[in-house]
Amino acid sequence: MPTLVSIFDLPDDAATAIKKLRGRGFEEIESYSPAPFEQIDEAMDDRPSKVRGFTLVGGLLGVFTGFLMQIWMSWEWPIKIGGKAFASIPPYVIIGFELTILFGGIFTLLGLLVVGRLYPRRLDAAYSARFSAEEFGVVVKVGERDVGEVDSLLRGLSAKEVSLLDE
Amino acid sequence: MTPPPASAVADLLRPTSVPQDSQINSDVMSVTKGVSWQWGLLLSLALIGVAQAVFSLAYQTYEGLGIAGYQAPVFWAIYIINFVFWIGIGHAGTLISAILFLFRAKWRNAINRGAEAMTVFAVLTAALFPLIHVGRLWKAYFLIPYPNQRALWVNFKSPLLWDVFAINTYMMISIIFFYVGLIPDIAIARDRATGIKKFAYTVLSLGWQGTGRQWKAHNRTVLHLAGLATPLVLSVHSVVSWDFAMSIVPGWHATIFAPYFVAGAIFGGFAMVLVVMIPVRRIFRLEAYITDYHFDNMSRFILFTSLICGYAYGAEYFVAWYSGVEFEQTSFWLRAFGPYWISTWIMISCNVIFPQLLWVKKFRTNIPLIFVLAVLINIGMWFERYVIIITSLSRDFVPAAWGLYIPSVWELSILAGSFCWFSMFFLLFLKFLPIVAIAEMKELIIHDKALAAQEAH
Repeated sequence: MPTLVSIFDLPDDAATAIKKLRGRGFEEIESYSPAPFEQIDEAMDDRPSKVRGFTLVGGLLGVFTGFLMQIWMSWEWPIKIGGKAFASIPPYVIIGFELTILFGGIFTLLGLLVVGRLYPRRLDAAYSARFSAEEFGVVVKVGERDVGEVDSLLRGLSAKEVSLLDE
Repeated sequence: MTPPPASAVADLLRPTSVPQDSQINSDVMSVTKGVSWQWGLLLSLALIGVAQAVFSLAYQTYEGLGIAGYQAPVFWAIYIINFVFWIGIGHAGTLISAILFLFRAKWRNAINRGAEAMTVFAVLTAALFPLIHVGRLWKAYFLIPYPNQRALWVNFKSPLLWDVFAINTYMMISIIFFYVGLIPDIAIARDRATGIKKFAYTVLSLGWQGTGRQWKAHNRTVLHLAGLATPLVLSVHSVVSWDFAMSIVPGWHATIFAPYFVAGAIFGGFAMVLVVMIPVRRIFRLEAYITDYHFDNMSRFILFTSLICGYAYGAEYFVAWYSGVEFEQTSFWLRAFGPYWISTWIMISCNVIFPQLLWVKKFRTNIPLIFVLAVLINIGMWFERYVIIITSLSRDFVPAAWGLYIPSVWELSILAGSFCWFSMFFLLFLKFLPIVAIAEMKELIIHDKALAAQEAH
């Protein structure tokens, strides 16, 4: 399928183009942007990112690890300290809290790597250094017969360049 | 409908606009290009400083802690002061990157990266000191709960152990936060590098292309890390303060310690951001990105936290007097007029009196003045910890047990080495990674461009 690469100067124009293409029923759309912009995020996919699940799981795992570790270790070799119970909860809150943050943070990073598909790899053919300058790219796969039409649609939405990717 | 004619497709293959690199990319990346002799000289000095400290540490490890100035009753000294000082320095970076992010204070974007880098390097410096202080480096692993045949575990009721967890968590989270923020900027560097540098940036940027999916995940990640780092940073220095406050030594046993330490940490950390960023901005011509507005805002933060510190100093004296406890009263009397009176007055003048200059707007944007002020504040904050630790320990309950502490040359050598160790990391960072968060700044630049386009219509 031919791939059309369109270049925009402003995030709003790119977001409008994505919405229009979506509306026309094109599914394989990719956006490239030099900085995060809500308009584009929403146009691409308006569901919240799945990273949040990772943080939740990590945090819960951390709080349970923290408390269970301390309680188990205190009971394995019980020593009376300061007249307190072998496993006394109030002082354990601190390490429980720290491990919540630690595990939550590590899992959030994992979430970014998994959800954002980040690992050292070959870049997309449509990607170019322009998108790490100040330009926005909207890339869409279209049927042979739609090329002309999508081209004029994108130009109409103030794309400053539309080109066909040679593969 | 028929496919478009070949001529139309050929037309599409011809690029119609010339790609232009953005100004900020080249401005910021130019910092990493080329190596001047001044940079080489500074790095050599830093490396020499680190080398002499490594020698001192090796000698201390061989001879034992006796060569450090420790003698009854002072067994916590320069190393603990350095530990608290460097951990505190880190706090401003997290405040800028996490707390100001949650408050949507966009001005932080320009100084964010420098401050975050400073945090990571300060924590890497601080984390060495508990080990140096403990002396027997080969037994450092005793600090962590590890499975062993005797089922002998660490004491989870001790604030010293809380500190082990707090510091390690803080170090991990700071590094993760720093790296996550860097990924889009490393991709910018990758697209403009060649050879071995390109290879390194390609691996580190993890295939970042700024796609919709990636930005969405990245935004969420930064939000969550900021949400996690905010309570963390407040907890870390609170836990450090409990190392003192949980004991019954006069001058340490105070409930005010946690907020007092956190405010002091942010105060000292902001001063260190100024000490580091003022020369960087001047030398690498980053005036367009780090402006007077940023210095004005940072000065306000310094003024505010200085007032909190001043209040805490006052409250400590008030509580000592009002408590009616003789030990507490004597301890505080000796702080101001005892053998270490000079450190107390350095602390009060540098941390409370001099920063009052910042009430005047003209002074807040007077860069040389705030640079000098920031250096003084760093000295003052180091002495604050000196006052808390040394004066309290040297004069505890029984006058017969009182003693004086004088730092040994080995301790001072390691103190100097810690500044060199920090500078070494920072100098290397300057030449490999962007010192200004480019993608975050671009968000503002493109936003302004969009506004200008809207007005033109």
